[in-house]
Amino acid sequence: MWSNTVIMMILEGIGATIYMVLLSTLMAYVIGLPLGILLVVTAKGGLRPNAVIYKIADLFVNIVRSIPFLILLILIIPITRAIVGKSYGPTATVVPLTLAAAPFIARLVESSLLEVDHGVIEAAQSMGASTWTIIFKVLLAEAKTSLILGATIALGTILGYSAMAGAVGGGGLGDIAIRYGYNRYQFDIMAVTVILLILLVQIMQWVGTKISQKTDKRTR
Amino acid sequence: MEKIIEIKNVGKTFYGKENTVEALKDISLTVHKGEIYGIIGMSGAGKSTLVRCLNFLERPTTGTVEIEGMDLSKCNEKELRQIRTQIAMIFQHFNLLMQRNVIDNICFPMEIVGIKKKEARKKAQELLEIVGMSEKAKAYPSQLSGGQKQRVAIARALAMNPKILLCDEATSALDPTTTKSILALLKDINEKYGITIVIITHEMRVVQEICSHVAIIDNGVLAESGTVEEVFNHPKTEAAKKLVFRNEHTYTVMEGKRCIRIVFSKNSSFEPVIGNMILECKAPVNILMADTKDIGGIAHGQMILQLPEDTAVADKMIRYLKDRELEVEEVTGYVE
Repeated sequence: MWSNTVIMMILEGIGATIYMVLLSTLMAYVIGLPLGILLVVTAKGGLRPNAVIYKIADLFVNIVRSIPFLILLILIIPITRAIVGKSYGPTATVVPLTLAAAPFIARLVESSLLEVDHGVIEAAQSMGASTWTIIFKVLLAEAKTSLILGATIALGTILGYSAMAGAVGGGGLGDIAIRYGYNRYQFDIMAVTVILLILLVQIMQWVGTKISQKTDKRTR
Repeated sequence: MEKIIEIKNVGKTFYGKENTVEALKDISLTVHKGEIYGIIGMSGAGKSTLVRCLNFLERPTTGTVEIEGMDLSKCNEKELRQIRTQIAMIFQHFNLLMQRNVIDNICFPMEIVGIKKKEARKKAQELLEIVGMSEKAKAYPSQLSGGQKQRVAIARALAMNPKILLCDEATSALDPTTTKSILALLKDINEKYGITIVIITHEMRVVQEICSHVAIIDNGVLAESGTVEEVFNHPKTEAAKKLVFRNEHTYTVMEGKRCIRIVFSKNSSFEPVIGNMILECKAPVNILMADTKDIGGIAHGQMILQLPEDTAVADKMIRYLKDRELEVEEVTGYVE
């Protein structure tokens, strides 16, 4: 039962899961971070209020967020195929993961940036800071801790999504759990993958919290 | 003297969904170079909005704001940012960057305009010296007291060698002693560097302490303005009178004509008989004469008290004292 093949498969599964999660989180931030900033900046009372842009961004985020991930996964198979060339395997899974996570990350970023004290923003304005300066040197810099915690949450959520992608041959630990545990009733293999998934979440959460604490200068 | 800030007929209206608020109505005032100009008013009077109109953080709905003859409403975004570097501002809640240490906070305005880091650091060190915070250069704002934070904020405000310093309730979050030291620092900066200071406050003592001129804002309207002396000695409007006289104590003048003489002979010196009586009856008495001394822990001597006019209270007091086994007798002719 615990043959070398199985162990190798599980090890590969861990590798594939980490690869999927990290790459899609990174890609999702490439879209989600600017989108989150856009939401904050164009909101009413923001640095550059713009009702039209805000409403469009807000609507986009809400629509994508309201599609269940499993359905999104199938829904965008043509797009995935166009980008990656195939619709299964870890690399292909990155596409739907990115699309699903980006709006979620945009909301996380939005809420982190909204926590920044308005007085500090006003102080920067009174010094003659431009909108870009305020975004980079005030909003993002002051919200750093909260953004890191948000990223930790995002990683955890994306890990969960990646496991779900196993249902349609997404690769990684979730894939193994479904193929062996669900399709072949090999409960032990499923249990191992689940434990590994839990461990991964624990490690990510621990690292994220540590980094955010280390970088936070507000308490000490 | 040269005008540095001139605002004419400034009005500001906030349009909400249900109601519009006229925060400022037709305000005109002039600040000259080197003055410390106080703008005082009750909270909600519109003074914070007014100070934000001076650097266009709020755009006035009507009227003009001129800084050294430059009409701010005619400036584009870039020019406005340029002017703002010359109008520094400090705040009630300091508004320091919490994730930056003291020296980097002071470097921030210099960073905005692209001054080289080395140069900025050097200048920041000098500024820390001026505000007396040199040894805290590497500390983070969360490690500082309110007064220290305001000193850092002042150093930050001075970084660009501003011509004007706006203070928005800069001492309102500080205790009286710290307030005094911050005000002294502001005065020092005004004298040494000739920076014109505009101080927004709701506290009369701040104006009294350092301002040369004062404007009183009441309900969004300029009630009165002039030199501090003028306005304080001869307040003309209701709003001015309210602010000027607000802090004066009100004395209760004893009206009662009844006086009593108490003789102490057996009570413990450590029992605050009169104090307890006042607390019990919740009315003041006036001590007209007292001659008591402590002999071996027992109070000896006598005291003459003027009682309140209210007979019921006065009677209660007499009863209270008699219950404490004091000799009490009414005396007449002590007060006319």
